[in-house]
Amino acid sequence: MRTLKLLSAFFKVNVQLALAYRADTVVNILLNIMWLGWELLSLSIIFNNTETIGGWGFGELIALLGVFRLVNTMMIALIWPNTEKFNQSIRDGSMDYTLLQPINSMFLVTFSRITIWRIWDLVLAIVLIMVGINMSGDITTPLNILTFVLLTVSGAIVIYSLWIVLIALTFWFTKFDNNVTILQALLDAGRYPVTVYPVWLRIIVTFVIPVAVATTVPLQALRGELSISRIMMFIVISIASFFVASLVWKRGLKQYSGASS
Amino acid sequence: MFKIFQRLWQVNWAEQWQYRANLIMYLLYWLVSPIIYLAVWTSIANSKGDVSGFTANDFVTYYMTLLIVDQVTSNIVIHTFAYKIQDGTLAGELIRPIHPMLTNALVNNIAFKALTIMGLVPIWIILFFLYKPDFSNVAPIGILLAIPAMIMGFFIGFLLSAAITALAFWTTRVYSIHEFYYALILLFSGQFVPLSLMPKLIQDIAQFLPFQLLIYYPIQLILGKLSSAQIVQGYVMGVSWLVVSITIFNWVWRNGVKRFSAVGA
Repeated sequence: MRTLKLLSAFFKVNVQLALAYRADTVVNILLNIMWLGWELLSLSIIFNNTETIGGWGFGELIALLGVFRLVNTMMIALIWPNTEKFNQSIRDGSMDYTLLQPINSMFLVTFSRITIWRIWDLVLAIVLIMVGINMSGDITTPLNILTFVLLTVSGAIVIYSLWIVLIALTFWFTKFDNNVTILQALLDAGRYPVTVYPVWLRIIVTFVIPVAVATTVPLQALRGELSISRIMMFIVISIASFFVASLVWKRGLKQYSGASS
Repeated sequence: MFKIFQRLWQVNWAEQWQYRANLIMYLLYWLVSPIIYLAVWTSIANSKGDVSGFTANDFVTYYMTLLIVDQVTSNIVIHTFAYKIQDGTLAGELIRPIHPMLTNALVNNIAFKALTIMGLVPIWIILFFLYKPDFSNVAPIGILLAIPAMIMGFFIGFLLSAAITALAFWTTRVYSIHEFYYALILLFSGQFVPLSLMPKLIQDIAQFLPFQLLIYYPIQLILGKLSSAQIVQGYVMGVSWLVVSITIFNWVWRNGVKRFSAVGA
């Protein structure tokens, strides 16, 4: 209950922040549309030259673009702004005030900044997924849709946990400003099905920086390509990674000594 | 003048060296897209034999050459300069008797480039062993012709980016303008895919724009894919665009500095 109240408070603050820079918001939305145009154009160039990549057709790739954009929105709307604020607070010591608040510090650090206007991007992503699946002619049962939603959430949790670990490292190495760059860099690999990548790259994006778990995997579930045991495995992995991340966060907090003291 | 550049080099090299960890992250970040395109296109070429005449090896050599060419011709001036206009710290550089953009910022970019290329070398060698590309089409003459072309491409790109950066004298949204400019580069330079695989319309437009001089033209020179008429045509385009970009930059800079009031300084 208190968490929900806090979230709605964060939401209000961030709407006000966005409204203070209205023209910027409009420009950003236009740029976002431009990038969508580029992404669709690049896909159509690829499919001018081939019918399938990694076993998937044009429709599936559009749906994958939608799933990719879900994760990317999380990156841009949540991960980047909060990381910037967090890094700043480690450097100037304002992290002290965050720790004094009577709620979970991990929650406070990771949800206090949200780039509100990006929410329309989520709608767009869902439209892309629906259009793509329609184009591909894949038959989706309600069960497939349910596992798709489940695995999208569990994929997002895996990315969220990795993010926590990366920023928690800042407690040990104070000057670690580039903590999430690596995540953003490899995220681009999520635009295409991992099956097209050579083995070494597939290993990196599945196990080291598990972008594929949040992009390719949910779509495989939607197409009914995953067995029950596989689905259970991904869900267990996401829960486990969340616990590991909270543990690392707690250890990191003990390491924190404030900037001025 | 030489002394000034020598001193600027020492300062900027030391500055960039200090941020070497950031530099490696930047390098990794920048590497990912060409490597993904490489993987996607070689997988398509492998499954079909070839893509409009491009074999898997053609794609590997294209993108591996692109890694080097792009590193030589690209620049980061928007990130190292625009904020100086916005927060007023440029004032200190303007009172010196040298041009802030064409001396200090230029040398800073070259120092950055030298360091990232040092970081790129081992990665490039690893990729070479992973993909074992066949570079037998590359002749010394092609490389010799490509070096001046790349230097020309770098200066065209630098001056155009510098002109966009100098728009910060007028607007705070200069980063958005630069993002749009970057999209044009993606579309018309050959960064995503060899230009000859792009739709006909884009190819026709790209021919007259400066962006292919930064990437596609030097790559084609190195890979020995151009006839002598095409080589001459590329150089003519390059020199013309160099003149145009010098003119644009000078105009924007001169009018911009006049408006500059050094906020907060």
